[in-house]
Amino acid sequence: MDAIRTEQLTKKYDLGWRKGKLLALEKLNLRVREGEVYGLLGPNGSGKSTTLKLVLDLVVPTEGSAWIFDVPCSKVVSRLHVGFLPENPYFYRYLTGAETLEFYGKLCGMRGATLKKRIEELLDLVGLTRARHRRLAGYSKGMLQRIGLAQALIHDPKLLLLDEPTAGVDPIGSKDIRDLILRLKGMGKTVLLSSHLLAQVQDICDRIGVLNRGQMILEGDVQTLISDQRRLSITVQDLPEAARARVEEAVRATGASIVSVGHPQTTLEALFLEALRKDQRREGEHD
Amino acid sequence: MTESAIAAPSMSRERVGFSAHRVSVIAVNTLTEAVRQKVFILFLLIGLVFIALAVFFAQFTFGEQMKFIKDTCLGVISVITTLIAIVGTAQLLPSEVENRTIYTILAKPVRRFEFLLGKFCGSLLLLLLSMAAMCILFAAVLWIKEQGMIRELSQSYVGESPAAHVEAQKQIEQIQTEVLDVELVKALVADLAKATLIASVTLLVSTFSTSLVFNVVVPFMVYVVGMLRGTAAEMWGAHRLFMAVLAVFPDFGLFSIADEINLGKVVPWGHIGQIVTYGVARTLVIVVAAHLVFSRREI
Ligand SMILES: Nc1ncnc2c1ncn2[C@@H]1O[C@H](COP(=O)(O)OP(=O)(O)OP(=O)(O)O)[C@@H](O)[C@H]1O
Ligand SMILES: [Mg+2]
Repeated sequence: MDAIRTEQLTKKYDLGWRKGKLLALEKLNLRVREGEVYGLLGPNGSGKSTTLKLVLDLVVPTEGSAWIFDVPCSKVVSRLHVGFLPENPYFYRYLTGAETLEFYGKLCGMRGATLKKRIEELLDLVGLTRARHRRLAGYSKGMLQRIGLAQALIHDPKLLLLDEPTAGVDPIGSKDIRDLILRLKGMGKTVLLSSHLLAQVQDICDRIGVLNRGQMILEGDVQTLISDQRRLSITVQDLPEAARARVEEAVRATGASIVSVGHPQTTLEALFLEALRKDQRREGEHD
Repeated sequence: MTESAIAAPSMSRERVGFSAHRVSVIAVNTLTEAVRQKVFILFLLIGLVFIALAVFFAQFTFGEQMKFIKDTCLGVISVITTLIAIVGTAQLLPSEVENRTIYTILAKPVRRFEFLLGKFCGSLLLLLLSMAAMCILFAAVLWIKEQGMIRELSQSYVGESPAAHVEAQKQIEQIQTEVLDVELVKALVADLAKATLIASVTLLVSTFSTSLVFNVVVPFMVYVVGMLRGTAAEMWGAHRLFMAVLAVFPDFGLFSIADEINLGKVVPWGHIGQIVTYGVARTLVIVVAAHLVFSRREI
């Protein structure tokens, strides 16, 4: 059973009187298998958010159909085990963080002590415990993203649809969210996320699909897609200069050619995370 | 998050029916939001100030004073509830769509009808709450007036003949019956039915328009036309087409029983029952119409 399946899913937005229609998504056949993390990639306006909204029946398809765990998306039941984080989430400004989670929990039919406990768990999980009694009007963008994530997880859904989950979140938070996604995967959840931060997607997705102007132009297993089978890189530490010449010679002797030799650079992100890790003051204060 | 929660339940057998609980959760949330926004507190405050001011009108005879207070207070309550009904409902759906809060709600197993109904009920809760606040103050004003008048009366008859005492006692009793006037309750009930109806009209308009000004002005115009409907029908009743157009507008004039009450007429409960039935029936039809528009709408 696929977690999500779409057939010939097409969406044309009506632009209004005499302005015609905009083809946002064209004949998408998507399959997200149960238990995998699927990344929907693509430039701005390529139809990623539209796909997620179609799957949730927030917009009605012009053609084609979609299923969640084999239940047609047009049925309310299909959303019973789904958590959704919209892009740039925006909630009721006058509710506090805890009240927001309570509201969404009740909508999912939760109540009483179970709900209370779950709210505590989630506030802790997304690092908003200290901001729980503040109204969302005073939350920063990253904090809204976190409460959005908590809201999506409130009823412990089997499938998560995350629209740019790390947008607006600082590198630590972004790493936290990616770790969380991997943990969810470990628990057997299915995740469909959209993003255009390719480097981040690479670490967490099992499979990706690339959309461009509403069409799927590339799809496949991340590891096979990005690994270059003809090339091999070996990273060594503390190699003396004299030894290096011998290594290069040995390589050439086999008939292979050396494409590049140099010092690997650390990523700016790794550097940033390392610096923050060293700065003890920052520990546990990012809520 | 336990492993058991992940074990796939067979989804084909699960159902999500209409849930009054979800409606009430959305309604309470809507009320909380409205109360915390404080805009309505302003309307309410204006109403409360006017009602409280009525205490200080002290000219005329006792009977006239009572009539004046009732007249003013019922008028103020009617205006403020109408305002709150229109302004409080006009932005409910558009702001949900604009802020995209609706996405997170409808992404949960929530029916669109539950959402619409929840929003509408939240608006009605706000109406009830503000009406209750104004009624409490209205009652307090009447009570203060009553006590004042009784004190004045008993003082003016001190040392007079027993016959005068009997006369004073009669007047006091009359004031007391004036204060405990069921007719007032009838007027308030009719008023609530009217406000509910106008709120539903606003809800319907806001399902297809996102402009706040439009959503306030159109229901207001519907209200005015509905108020004048009776009069217009008397004047141009001959034109059939005209009558057909008029029939679309709810007859808001029907709810204005405060005038009759002030003329000292007794409105039978049966009539109130008819008015309320008319209001509720019209409201239901309009809410269903709003649902039909809203369920087909792209959000
Ligand atoms: N409600 C709407 N009405 C009209 N056009 C829309 C609407 N929503 C989206 N579109 C159009 O559909 C296309 C796809 O939009 P979509 O939001 O799915 O892109 P996206 O891939 O999520 O982009 P981004 O990376 O910027 O979030 C865009 O050209 C957009 O302008
Ligand atoms: Mg998007």
